[in-house]
Amino acid sequence: MDDIVSVERLRVEFPTDGGTVVGVEDVSFSIAPGETVCVVGESGSGKSVTSLSLMRLVEFGGGRIAAGEMSFRRADGSLLDVASASASVMGGLRGNEIGMIFQEPMTALNPVFTIERQLTDGLRLHKGLGQAEASARALDLLRGVRIPEPERRLRQYPHELSGGMRQRVVIAMAMACEPQLLIADEPTTALDVTIQAEILALINRLKREKGMAVLFITHDMAVVAQMADRVVVMRGGRVVETGTVTQIFEAPREAYTQSLLAAVPKLGEMQGKVLPERMRLIGDAETRAARTAIAPRKPEVLLEVRNLTTRFPVKGGILRRTVAQVHAVEDVSFTLNVGETLALVGESGCGKSSCGRSILRLIEPTSGEVLIGGRDIGALNAFDLRRARADMQMVFQDPFASLNPYRRLKDQVAEPLMNFNLSSGQELASRVLDLFDRVRLPREFLNRFPHELSGGQRQRVAIARALAVNPKLIVADEAVSALDVSVQAQVLNLMMDLQEDLGLSYLFISHDMAVVERVAHQVGVMYLGRIVEIGPRAAVFGSPAHTYTHQLLSAVPIADPRKRRFGEDLTFKPITSPIFPLGHVPAPSTYRAVSPGHLVLTTD
Amino acid sequence: MTYILNRLLSVMLTLFLITLVTFGVTNILPGDVAMMIMGTQSNPEALAGLRESLGLNDPLAVQYGRWVGGMLTGDWGTSLIFKQPIAELLIQKAAASAVIVVMSMTIALTLAVPLGVWAAVHRDRWQDGVSSTAALMGVSLPDFFWGIVMILVFARGLGWFPSSGFVDPAEDLAGTLRHAFLPSLALGLGLMAHLTRMTRSTMTGILGQEFIRVARAKGLSERTVVWRYGLANAIGPVITIAGLQIGYLFGSIIVMEFLFSYTGMGWLTYQALLNRDLPLIQATVFVIAAVVMLTNLAVDLLYVLIDPRIRLG
Amino acid sequence: MRRFLTFKGVVGLTLLTLIALVAIVGPLIVPPEAATAMDMTARRAPPSLRYWFGTDQLGRDLVARVILGARTSLEIAVAAVAMSIVLGLPLGMISGYFGGRTDNVLMRLVDTLLAFPALLLALTISAVLGPNVQNTIIAIGIAFTPFLARIIRGEALRVAQMPYVEAARASGTTDAMIMLRHVLPNIMPAVIVQATISLAFAILAEAGLSFLGLGTQPPAASWGLMIQASRDQLDIAPWTALVPGLAVALTVLALNMFGDVLRDVLDPRAK
Repeated sequence: MDDIVSVERLRVEFPTDGGTVVGVEDVSFSIAPGETVCVVGESGSGKSVTSLSLMRLVEFGGGRIAAGEMSFRRADGSLLDVASASASVMGGLRGNEIGMIFQEPMTALNPVFTIERQLTDGLRLHKGLGQAEASARALDLLRGVRIPEPERRLRQYPHELSGGMRQRVVIAMAMACEPQLLIADEPTTALDVTIQAEILALINRLKREKGMAVLFITHDMAVVAQMADRVVVMRGGRVVETGTVTQIFEAPREAYTQSLLAAVPKLGEMQGKVLPERMRLIGDAETRAARTAIAPRKPEVLLEVRNLTTRFPVKGGILRRTVAQVHAVEDVSFTLNVGETLALVGESGCGKSSCGRSILRLIEPTSGEVLIGGRDIGALNAFDLRRARADMQMVFQDPFASLNPYRRLKDQVAEPLMNFNLSSGQELASRVLDLFDRVRLPREFLNRFPHELSGGQRQRVAIARALAVNPKLIVADEAVSALDVSVQAQVLNLMMDLQEDLGLSYLFISHDMAVVERVAHQVGVMYLGRIVEIGPRAAVFGSPAHTYTHQLLSAVPIADPRKRRFGEDLTFKPITSPIFPLGHVPAPSTYRAVSPGHLVLTTD
Repeated sequence: MTYILNRLLSVMLTLFLITLVTFGVTNILPGDVAMMIMGTQSNPEALAGLRESLGLNDPLAVQYGRWVGGMLTGDWGTSLIFKQPIAELLIQKAAASAVIVVMSMTIALTLAVPLGVWAAVHRDRWQDGVSSTAALMGVSLPDFFWGIVMILVFARGLGWFPSSGFVDPAEDLAGTLRHAFLPSLALGLGLMAHLTRMTRSTMTGILGQEFIRVARAKGLSERTVVWRYGLANAIGPVITIAGLQIGYLFGSIIVMEFLFSYTGMGWLTYQALLNRDLPLIQATVFVIAAVVMLTNLAVDLLYVLIDPRIRLG
Repeated sequence: MRRFLTFKGVVGLTLLTLIALVAIVGPLIVPPEAATAMDMTARRAPPSLRYWFGTDQLGRDLVARVILGARTSLEIAVAAVAMSIVLGLPLGMISGYFGGRTDNVLMRLVDTLLAFPALLLALTISAVLGPNVQNTIIAIGIAFTPFLARIIRGEALRVAQMPYVEAARASGTTDAMIMLRHVLPNIMPAVIVQATISLAFAILAEAGLSFLGLGTQPPAASWGLMIQASRDQLDIAPWTALVPGLAVALTVLALNMFGDVLRDVLDPRAK
């Protein structure tokens, strides 16, 4: 046994006013030198508690290691039980022999200290370096994580760096003392997909170069497939299954692992198929296994968007005048057919959400036309717009914030009906009942409040609310992004069932390429406010023509350990700013047809 | 630079609005100013005479213009009760109050910051309970009650400090400080209670942030994590809150100077209000509001120096 | 509900109930004459079995005066805070919900008012209007309005940006209905917490005003007035200051304790 870490029967408790809550129980696993072990699980599985215990940081969150051993092989070869080590021993271990990186790069750095100070304090503490030596080493570290202009970065403050750069600094900090073990707790969850790819590749390279072991915590099976040598699957604070990455992905023993894997869409699995298919769910009675493909009824245009442009003023100066503009949506045109799904994909800040909101006029577009069923939404006055909103509804990302915490669910679902005086009294009540049935929510929920529901259930309520007025179009803005993967699959299947039954059209706004590949008929890729490529899903995914689409697709982790893609260092072109001076007149979007219906932007 | 210009312009506008509010509160509210000054029982001719001499028969806009114009040219008028130029009075009394303001703020900050941090570090444990309960009591006791207790204990009981009066610092600086000490302590303890609560909640928020966890993960000692990493972030918000307390302080100072017969701005304001000395009321109210506003400006600018996010952002 | 049952919550709520009972029921039991009845044989009598809290310089029973003073203080505080909510709630809600130019203008005004210390503003208004109970209420009510408007505006701004408000707008709900159904219920917790804390400050302000002779006028019983009267006899009759002083302190403490617990329970940001 020369494992670097060996955790035996770990139990962590959280004493609270209402009694002791068990965080994790009977958790055992080991990490060999130079190995990447991924701990994967959905929210509440105890994966983060496990990693924090190994650093003994769990105590600062009110937790207590109640039982178990965590032996760690120190640099000098001696074994140390981390579970019972003294505070001073742990101080010498943390940041020195074990490094850790966290989920939120935006808040992981102290905002009032320079990068240099934050990179050097660990070195001075653990390695006894002087200021000059430590600074020189800090510069090396920044070069090691491939940050451009490292000399300048040292003197900068965190807010001057982008999210991706900050995460690189955090990694440099964790690597400062060349630890034997790096713990990465959801290090890419808050990042865009191209930056995620860069960071994953960076971690792989550093691991290879330094021969360091990695404990990687994530909820994302695709990332696990890309990174892990071995996998620990957790659920409800316990270990479900442990195995090598190929074992877990190709021959999972436990039912939970099997259902978890089934629900994960794999990029590329829809190759050769034209129509969307429902998500796979094992043992789920809701899935219509027999009819998985979603075919639209007949081609008929529902939504037509022409040259839509939305710009936000940037205020500044003495009189709060507009000094510049954010070109959030720039000359966007597309059509969406009845009963079809058009997915708008892109990274944060690309304008996909603003585009959805502009179509519904939740924000006022600067110019352009939006026609629903031939009627120009942009030309309506406030009164008619309110009426027209019965045709177009929206489902939001955050299931916890999109419902009013102080209203009963039935009242929230009934609100749109009451707004349009569509029904009242008994009729209203029965209509709300129907809606609950339709989204498969138990009728007992009618009188409940949102906090009594899980995230997935809340999202069903949000869908019921959107359905209340029989809309033709639903704009789903990252509607399943905040949900755990199995719940996500259920909600997606519900949405596809509704599409088939009611002939709904979806404008599906998402950053998740693998999900989009399964659910969309058409795909538009957005970059800096413009659609750079649009067309049938099979065409855009199968033969991408724009460089950005290529970049995006190559950065997506695939939930298949045999299709690894982050071995080599990756650097993608960083996204530039969409802020332009006031007089700036951008060129109109012009497209070239690659194949029928498949257009690629030729404007730079 | 733009930021500072921006602020300056906003200051001018606010000063103008402050003159409007001051003038408005003393003039537009129902109530005859002359009658307010002389009382309801005074004879009509005397009232008419006073109205004439104060220019109360002119339209309000003219009166306002005369008032602001006078202030701009340095003619702040004459106090009806002290029969002295108001500008002269203000300078004298403001200096006396400055001693109390600085002293009480110093007492409050030196005690509140360590106490608040200490409570935040030991959140929900007995240390927190003790300091939070003490702070809550401090917030709940009226300042003048503190003042009375001070007088009973330190002046009447122990005889360490005088219980009333003011000594000109030019004659006897130590005497000034001795006279200012008890009112400052009474004000400072009340302030301290507020600041302790604010420091605790600010610090609690900061200690829950990710960068604190990262600092711990680097192996830094708890002392470094709390007093360097944590406090460096808390100092800005705490100073801002202390700045906002200046307004509260200028309200309490009226009561406290009255209680200790300490002849500063608060005492002057009180005399003006009690004797309905309209020109003096307008002047003192304006000056206090202006000082509060300018202090907040100074604090904002200080914050800019402290916080790189604003300095460089 | 269980979260109310902390030490602070229980003590605060019990104290508050007792004080409210004294203020409401007290005057029914203690006749108003008792507070003005002078016993010239027992002027400045220290606390004893006959006079539990002692008597003042005119030989008036401090028990009766503290009880009737509770009534005056609480009445003024409640009315003044109610007034500041009536003024501040619509102001803050409209400013925060609509934003833009309306917000800029209203908040510039509120910020200007905030430069005036609340006690100074209240004193000035009371001096201008002439000190009596009604004008004390108006003075404190107006002086507190900018604070409430500021806080309510901040809350309304936060709520107006929540997705459920956007969802309501997307489903055709009018602005008026959104404010009524969504914004108001969601800012209510903050308003209730702020009202409790404001009550504590209003009691302090009333005591301060009366102490300075610009609030309640004699011979009415008010805690501030009682402390004022005690000022000249601190050496010989300290209880005349301590009794009303502790009454104020206890009431404000109870309100603050209750306010703290309310904030923990109701304020979503504190969770």
